[in-house]
Order: sequence, then structure tokens, then C-alpha cells
Amino acid sequence: MTDARKQQGEKLTEAEAIERAKQGDAAAFKVLYDLHKRRVYSLCLRMTQNTASAEDLTQEAFLQLFRKIGTFRGESAFSTWLHRMSVNVVLMQLRKKNLPIVPIDDTLEGDEEGTIKKEPGAPDERLAGSIDRLRLQRAVDELPPGYRTIFVLHDVEGYEHNEIAEMVGCSIGNSKSQLHKARLKLRELLRVDRAEKARK
Amino acid sequence: MTCLEFERDLPECVEGQPSPEQQAHLNSCPTCSGLLLDLNSIASQAKMLSAAEEPSAAVWNAIEERLRSEGLIRRSEPIYLPVEAKPSFMQRWRAAWLVPVAAALAVVAVVKLYHPTRLNNDDAKQVQQPIASTAPVKNASAKRKPALSHEDQQWLSTVAARPPAQLAKFRSDLDQANAFIEDAQESLQQDPNDVYMQQMLMNAYEQKQMLYELVVDDSSH
Ligand SMILES: [Zn+2]
Repeated sequence: MTDARKQQGEKLTEAEAIERAKQGDAAAFKVLYDLHKRRVYSLCLRMTQNTASAEDLTQEAFLQLFRKIGTFRGESAFSTWLHRMSVNVVLMQLRKKNLPIVPIDDTLEGDEEGTIKKEPGAPDERLAGSIDRLRLQRAVDELPPGYRTIFVLHDVEGYEHNEIAEMVGCSIGNSKSQLHKARLKLRELLRVDRAEKARK
Repeated sequence: MTCLEFERDLPECVEGQPSPEQQAHLNSCPTCSGLLLDLNSIASQAKMLSAAEEPSAAVWNAIEERLRSEGLIRRSEPIYLPVEAKPSFMQRWRAAWLVPVAAALAVVAVVKLYHPTRLNNDDAKQVQQPIASTAPVKNASAKRKPALSHEDQQWLSTVAARPPAQLAKFRSDLDQANAFIEDAQESLQQDPNDVYMQQMLMNAYEQKQMLYELVVDDSSH
């Protein structure tokens, strides 16, 4: 077996792939893409609800990353670096399309979305345990855009409020309150969804 | 604590620890405890949505194409030729330096025909891709024959048992690769900072290496 074939057959670690991608190695780029494509694409899809846009944004995010890979020095985790870049690409596109990404400030908004709807609350009305991925995904897609951004960044992607505030350009308090409203709205959507299912 | 008071501090409570007062309210109020359970559940289930879906293969294809056209991919795949960059050099050479590889791959293809079980997907791809490169060849190699290095001679001796026609083909492929390398080196002597030519030279070395490996690999079967 030749060296070239050995190299193709062996799995590259991420660090090796980064170094080889810096040298222009096609296979290394593919390794990095495969490692991260699902997370980046899912993020784009949740934010845009459109597979074509999500694929465009995924492509753009990876291209931006690969163009800058020579400057990656490994101080931060590669996935963190990549993911921040993807978020920026998505947010920039949403801004270009004039979609609301910065949540409307609490003070400008009525109580309608924020308050808890008092329902006859027997404990068995709980959602807990009945949320599957597809139902939740559908509900997230139905969220108003401003809520959705914060919810996806915090609860799905795991960013902290201070990071989100910086990325999105809002206050930390705003991020917190929008997240809470998003969760409440999701609960409502999931309950409606379940009630409809039950009726069928 | 009333339900209203509980709700006011609820955001801090989700995915966190309720205060003793909140806990007391939760113990006595099924509405609020149900709400908190739901919100906690939503927050934790949301993590399932990360990396839930996969982009279509078209996305990578588009990325790869762009990386090639921008010159970011330079290695490990057949050949990247930014033809517009240096017309004179490329005109002089056309596809001449691709020929060794094309020839070597043709040999592999023949061997694989006789040993079809050895043909895996990667090999199949290698065989197919550069076929187009058997393009018109200028007489570049005819103008001079660079001396064979020690390595070249060693390589030729490992394939010495091949039929004479094949051997002659290897030799001419090798001469062409060497001539190309020499030409690129000359250009680089004139302009050591010529990034394009550096890349051409790197490519040429790799292609030559491939020629070595492919042919030697066959003989070990
Ligand atoms: Zn209560």
C-alpha cells in the first residue's frame, strides 16, 4: 500500500485536517465539512425555515471559513470558530432580507405574548415527556422570527445571553426576556398541536 | 408567594434552581409546577434540534468547486490548472505534464480489468477522472531529456521486468515529468516569488510521485 492510499484510508483528526487544509488538501476540507455540516446546516435551516436558503447559507459559511483557515491558530476550538462564523453569515443574510432578528424591546410591546395563558391546569396537561423532535422543530419554525433567533441561539445552540446580545446586537436583558417569551410561545404551540392531534 | 409573583421570577427558574419560596409555591400550585416542567422540558429537548438535519450533496459539490476556482484546493485530487494565470507557460506545456499520470492511470485501469475484485470505489474514481487529460501534447519533452536522478533510476529498475513497450512508455512519461519540473524550476529561478509557478512545481512533484506509486503498486500485486 502506498503512502497516498494509506492517508486516504485513515481517518484524519480535526487538528490534522486543519493543518492539511491550510496546505490546500482537498480531502482535508471534506473531512472538516463532514464533521460540521449537520450542525451548521441545522442552524441555518432553523433560522430560515427554507431548505434552499439554508443550503446557500451553509455553503457561504463554509466558504468564508475555508478562506480564512490559514489564519486559524488553534487558540479557540475550531468548532466554536466555525459556528460563530455560521451564525454571523446567517444573521447577516437575515438582516439583508430585512427579517427581524433583533427582538422587539419589551417596553414597546404589549403583554399579549408574554403572559401565561391560564388554562385549567391539571398536572396531566403537561407537555413534559410528550415533546418529540419533529413536533418541537415544527413549533420552532412557527415562532415569530425575533423569538426564534434567540431561542435557536440559546436553547438549541447553547450560546450564553451575553454572547447572543453581542451577536444579535441587543441587551442581555432583552435576550433573556425574549428567550422566556419564545419558550412560552412554544409551549402554547405544542399544546395546540397536541390538542389537535387528540381530536383526530 | 402568588402565581403572579412566581411568574415574574420564572425566567431565572427555568433550567435553574428554584428558591425556597418558589419551591414552596411549586409544591402547592400544580399550574405553576406544570408550567415550569414544560419550559424545562422544551429547553432541554431543544438541544436535539442541533445537527438534526443534513444538507444535500450539492452543497459540498458547490463548495469544492469554489475552493478549486479560488485556488484553495491545491492538492490530493487530480489536477488543478488555473489556465488563465500564465498563458505563455501553459501554452508551451498544454497537457504534457498530465500525460504521465494519465498513462499511469491507464495502466492501473488495465490491471484492474484483470483483477476486478481489487477495484474499489476510490480506485475507480482515480481511473476515471483524468482521462480527459490525454490532450494534445507538444514536443516539450523532445527538446531535451533531463538527466535521470538516482531515485528515477531506482524506480526504473523496479519496473525493469515489464514488457519493453510498457517500459518505454514509463521512461517517456518520466522524461516528460522531469522536463516539466525543470521548466518550472527555471521559471522560478527567474522569479522565485512566483506563487503560481511554485504551485505548478508542487503539482508536478506530486504527479511524478503518483506515477511512481501507481506503477510500483501494480507490480506488487
Ligand atoms: Zn401558581
